[in-house]
Amino acid sequence: MLAISIMNGLVIGVIYALAALGVSLVVGIMNVVNFAHGELYILAGYFSYLFASALGVNFLAAMLIAIALVFLLGILIEYTLIRPTYGNDMYSLILTFILSIVLQNAYLLIFGPYPNKPPLWVKGATDVFGLFLYGNQRLAALLAGAAVIAIVFFVVKKTWFGRIIRATSQDREMAELNGVDTTRLNMLSFGLGCALAAAAGVILTPVFPVTPTAGVAVALTAFVVVVLGGMGSMWGCVVGGLMLGLVENLGAAFISTGYKNVFGFIILILVLLIRPAGLFGRAKA
Amino acid sequence: MAGKKQALLSALILAGMCVLPLGLGIYPQHVLIVSLFYVMMASSWNLLAGYTGQVSFGHAAMAGIGAYASGILTAKAGINPWIGIGIGTILAALVGLGLGALCLKMGGIYLSLTTLAFSQILHIIIVNEYDLTRGTMGLQVPALMAEYDKLSYYYIMLAAAVLILAILHRMIHSNLGLNFRAVQNDELAAKSVGVKVLYVRVLAFTVASAVAGFAGGLYGHYLLLITPEIPSLDLQFYVLAMTVIGGMGSFIGPIIGAFALNILAEKIRDYGEYHVLVFGLIALVVARFAPNGLLGLWKRFKPIKPIQGVKQKAVPSP
Repeated sequence: MLAISIMNGLVIGVIYALAALGVSLVVGIMNVVNFAHGELYILAGYFSYLFASALGVNFLAAMLIAIALVFLLGILIEYTLIRPTYGNDMYSLILTFILSIVLQNAYLLIFGPYPNKPPLWVKGATDVFGLFLYGNQRLAALLAGAAVIAIVFFVVKKTWFGRIIRATSQDREMAELNGVDTTRLNMLSFGLGCALAAAAGVILTPVFPVTPTAGVAVALTAFVVVVLGGMGSMWGCVVGGLMLGLVENLGAAFISTGYKNVFGFIILILVLLIRPAGLFGRAKA
Repeated sequence: MAGKKQALLSALILAGMCVLPLGLGIYPQHVLIVSLFYVMMASSWNLLAGYTGQVSFGHAAMAGIGAYASGILTAKAGINPWIGIGIGTILAALVGLGLGALCLKMGGIYLSLTTLAFSQILHIIIVNEYDLTRGTMGLQVPALMAEYDKLSYYYIMLAAAVLILAILHRMIHSNLGLNFRAVQNDELAAKSVGVKVLYVRVLAFTVASAVAGFAGGLYGHYLLLITPEIPSLDLQFYVLAMTVIGGMGSFIGPIIGAFALNILAEKIRDYGEYHVLVFGLIALVVARFAPNGLLGLWKRFKPIKPIQGVKQKAVPSP
């Protein structure tokens, strides 16, 4: 029971970390919280279901197409909705919140309220350290999630593009003075944030099917992780995501399943009370 | 004087609202009663978002607190509904005070995130605590009067809405209202001229929460069945859409928005459950292209007011 809860916690924790990285990237660079993050996660799930199950495309190709499409949609959202609100955080909050409701209802209209699910990548189960049998699909999700996180870390910490991202989140004006086209960077990073939501979506949906409103819980958890880890901190996302995944699953196993999602919020409130800047965040003046 | 004209106009509208339901059937009366609930919700949310720049996503949750507190007390403990509503209002205010104090220090984004999380927690608790709230089945609560009568409910709701609007109007047009605006426009500048930013924000949050709790309590005793639909993101979205479409940051905007959208919702419902999607699309376009809402649009295109004191030929009213 304990071992399998920890394992479940790790799998979902990696996905939380991935979803949170997308939010964190956008917050760090643009100071915008995308309330439609969860709906984009769901959209990628629907896309991969549509291409793989309905059109018979190879599952890997379907996932990549789904991520690419959501990336483009993210760029479109930034261009049409977010860009005019620069300098007014309030309107970007309101616009993305409305967008999330619009998308939820559009999904409901198009796909219906039933859960949909893309095909599994792998079948069967593996014996983990002789402790328990664990679904191969979940193990694959864990590995895929960890791999995407590693790629994101590599891009941000080691490449020239990553340097631009870090420079802009540290000091926007200085980055501009050094020749960074921040408008284009905003567009790209918003698209990338959405693509990370999409990556989390395509990895997790074979395990947890998508419904029109399933994104709300995912997005909220991602927000909690971002606040927990400290706004804009990448390690914060990873540690926070794993922590939250573990706490939720252990709480569900040993305290109450109905309150699974509440445990995360309790942590959030505790963090806000004790250390508002988050675990890895620097307190702002 | 503009003030006199405004007062006269308000009195006329109020008189009109008093006679309006007399010739109407039960269904239009119901639509009007629900609209009045939304007027209270949207106006108080506007106090937060439009006047102090705090986008709360927990306003529907506050209405839920009012409704459930009063509902549980009256249905389970047999307390008079009016006292129940009073307790619900106070409870919502206290929760608002707590939430406000918790996250207002950190500014905009944190407030939105925490209120969103809070409304989800409340929703989960209500659905899970079946013994107390009867979960998604809904809790049956007693009516406000011995004999259920739509018209009496209409007048109660109208009186409540007028009372709330009067309080909000007074607040906005007082010194405090200026402080609200100052905090919204430039927090640092407001601080530097001695506005207690934190105090002003928490106060606005508490007042708005109390209004939502009050409106929610009344609404619950009107519906007679409280479900988790009240503290839901959908209701939160209605309130937001009404305010944004009507005109955020103006006093009349949310009132117009509440009536317009609620009546429109009933019309769209004839064709199916598309109203949320339609409102979302309208709200998206309005928030993007006309951030001051329909009222702002109307103000932009109406002829410029003649300067006070200078005699001019009467301009035909638009």
